[in-house]
Amino acid sequence: MEQLIQELKEHLIEELNLEEIAPEDIDAEAPLFGDGLGLDSIDALEIILILEKFYGIKLKNSAEAKPIFYSVKTLAEYIMQNRK
Amino acid sequence: MAETVNIYFGAMSLLTALGDKTATLDAMSKGVGGLRYSGRFGMNAGVIDGIDAADGATRFETLAVSQLERVLAESGIRLSDSDTQLVLSTTKGDVGLLEGAASSNAIPERAYLYNTAMRIAGRFRCANRPVVISNACISGVSAFVVARDMLINRPLRHAVILGCDVLSEFITSGFASFKSISPNPCRPYDAGRDGLTLGEACGAVVLTTDVNYATRPLVRLTGGAVTNDANHISGPSRTGDGLCYAIEASMRQANVTPSQIGFVNTHGTATLYNDEMESKAVALAGLGGTPLNGVKGYIGHTLGASGVVETIICIEELRRGKIFGTLGYEKQGTSVNVSVSPGEQKIYGARCVKTASGFGGCNASIVLEAGESEQMEQAEPSGKPEPSGKPAAECTKRNVAVAGEYSLPQSEQPFGEFIRAEYKRLGEPNMKFFKMSDLCKAVYIATENLLRNFDLTIYEPARRAIILANSVSSLETDAEHQHIIDRHLPEGASPAVFVYTLPNVAAGEVCIRHKFQGDNTFFIEDADSGLSEEYARHVIADDKADIAICGWCDKLGENWNVNLKLLRIQ
Repeated sequence: MEQLIQELKEHLIEELNLEEIAPEDIDAEAPLFGDGLGLDSIDALEIILILEKFYGIKLKNSAEAKPIFYSVKTLAEYIMQNRK
Repeated sequence: MAETVNIYFGAMSLLTALGDKTATLDAMSKGVGGLRYSGRFGMNAGVIDGIDAADGATRFETLAVSQLERVLAESGIRLSDSDTQLVLSTTKGDVGLLEGAASSNAIPERAYLYNTAMRIAGRFRCANRPVVISNACISGVSAFVVARDMLINRPLRHAVILGCDVLSEFITSGFASFKSISPNPCRPYDAGRDGLTLGEACGAVVLTTDVNYATRPLVRLTGGAVTNDANHISGPSRTGDGLCYAIEASMRQANVTPSQIGFVNTHGTATLYNDEMESKAVALAGLGGTPLNGVKGYIGHTLGASGVVETIICIEELRRGKIFGTLGYEKQGTSVNVSVSPGEQKIYGARCVKTASGFGGCNASIVLEAGESEQMEQAEPSGKPEPSGKPAAECTKRNVAVAGEYSLPQSEQPFGEFIRAEYKRLGEPNMKFFKMSDLCKAVYIATENLLRNFDLTIYEPARRAIILANSVSSLETDAEHQHIIDRHLPEGASPAVFVYTLPNVAAGEVCIRHKFQGDNTFFIEDADSGLSEEYARHVIADDKADIAICGWCDKLGENWNVNLKLLRIQ
C-alpha cells in the first residue's frame, strides 16, 4: 500500500504537471481537490486516464469518481480492490 | 453619429446535416433532426454528406467557397470592392490536415488558418485582407460583434460573414476526452440531458449598411458584446454572470429592455453544466419568462460555425413570427426556470437575443431586430430629436491612451528554461502555470510584466478587455493533441492538452488571473497588421471597456514573438 501511494503520487505529479511539488509534499490523506494542490475538473479527467493507463481500471461514470478521488489514500484503496 | 448606423442582414446561405437553408428550415419546422450514428467517428453526429475536397481545395475550403458564392451571387456584392470586408470565423478551421503530422516542425503550411483564409479570399479577389476570428465556440457570434464594429468604424458598406467548421478525429476525440459526448442525440435543457452531439456546418451572411442590399422582411443587427467568465478555462461559470453581462451589454447597445425581446436562442449544447449556466444567465438578465430555444438537437454542436448558422435560423424565425421547438427537450432540467420551447411556437416581439459560450470562459450575445428602425420612422416626420436615441455624450468617441507596453525578451536558452526562469523571477507562485501550453505561458508572463505597477482595481472587471492576435493560432498544441490521437492509445486523448488547442484560451488564462470580464477576442493573421490594437481602441472609444490589453503573441518551437500593449480610457 505504501509503495502504491508513493507510485501514485509520482504519477499525479508527472501527469498533472505539478512541477513545484515533490511526493513528500502531498499528504496522502488530505483532500486532492479544493485548495491544496489546486486541482480542477480537467485534472479529474486526467486522473481517470491515469487509472486506465497504469492500472487498467475504467471508471463507469464520473459520478462514482467523487469519493474515490477524495485523497491519494482513497485512490490507492480503490486501485488495490480493482486493479487488473 | 456612428452608433446610429443601421446594419441590415442581406443574402444568407447555409449547409448543415439537414441540407441547405430551405431543407434545414423545412426539416426543423417538421421537428426532424439530422443527427445520425457515424461509423467514421464512432458516435452520433450531424455530418454534411455529398461535399468532398475538389479542384485542389480541401473539403473545408470547398464548403466555404460554395456558401460564399451563393450569397455573393444572390446579393450582387463583390468582395473585390474596397468597401466590402470578408470576416471568417471558425473554431478549428482545417485542423484535420494535421493528421499524420507528428511534430510541430512538420506542420503543413496549409494548416495555418490565415493561409486557409487567404486561399478562400483569393478565389474572390478580395480587396481587403480577410479578418479571421478564432474564439472557440463563440467564433460565429463573435464575428457579428467584430463586423458590426468594423461597419461602424471602418469605411465599409458591406461585410460578408463566413462561419465554417468540419468534423475530424481531432475534434471528436478531444470532446470525447472531456466525456462531454452523449451516447444519444443531444437533448438541450432536458432533465435527462447527458452531453452534446457534434456536428459540422457552414454559413455565410451579408451584413450591409445599405438598405438596398438588405433582404426582406428587414432584420437588423442592433447590438453585440463579448465577455469572459474569468472563472475556468473549460468549466462553465457556476453563476452565469459572464453570459449575463454579455446579454445585458448587447441589449444596452440595442437600446431595448427584456420585455421587448421576443425570444432567446442560446448555445444549448446539452451538457449538464453549460445549459445550467445558461439558464442562470438568461434568468439573471431578466429573460427567464421569454421563450427560449436551442437548435443543436437538429444539427448538432457545429462549433464556431454554430454562431453564424444559428443566427441565420434566428433571422428566419423572426421573419416567420414563430420559433422552432428545442428537439430533444421534454422536461425542465435546469435549477432555474427558463421558458424552453418544446415545439413550434408563435412569438410576440420583433427582437431576438442570440448567445454563445465557449472554452476559455468566453461568452457572446447579439440582438437582432425585425422591421425598420424606429428612430428613422419617428425622426423623419416629426423632425424632433430622437426620443429613443442615445444621449450625445454616448455617441462621441472617447479618447484612448497607451498605459504601457511589454515585449517578451528573446533568449539564448530553450523556451522551457527561459519561461521557467521568467516565472521564478515573478516570485508569485501559481499552481496552474505549469499546466498551461507554451503559448499561454508566454502570454501569461508578458501580461504579468505589462500589468506590474498598474492599478487595476479602479477598473470594473466587466470593463477590462483583452484582444489578441497571432499567426500560429494554437498549432503547437494542436500538433501535440494530433500526435496523441495518431498513436490510438486505449485511454484516448488528453483533456489537459485538448483544452489548449484553442488560441483564445491564452486570453482566458489572463482573464482568470486578473479578473478581466470584458471583451476577449482572438484574431488570426499572417503578420501583425495592427488589427488587435485597432479593435481594442474601438472597444474603449465606443464605451465597451475602460482598459484593454492588446497585441501579438506567436510561439512555435524555439521561436516566440510576444508584444503587448495596455490601453486605457484617457
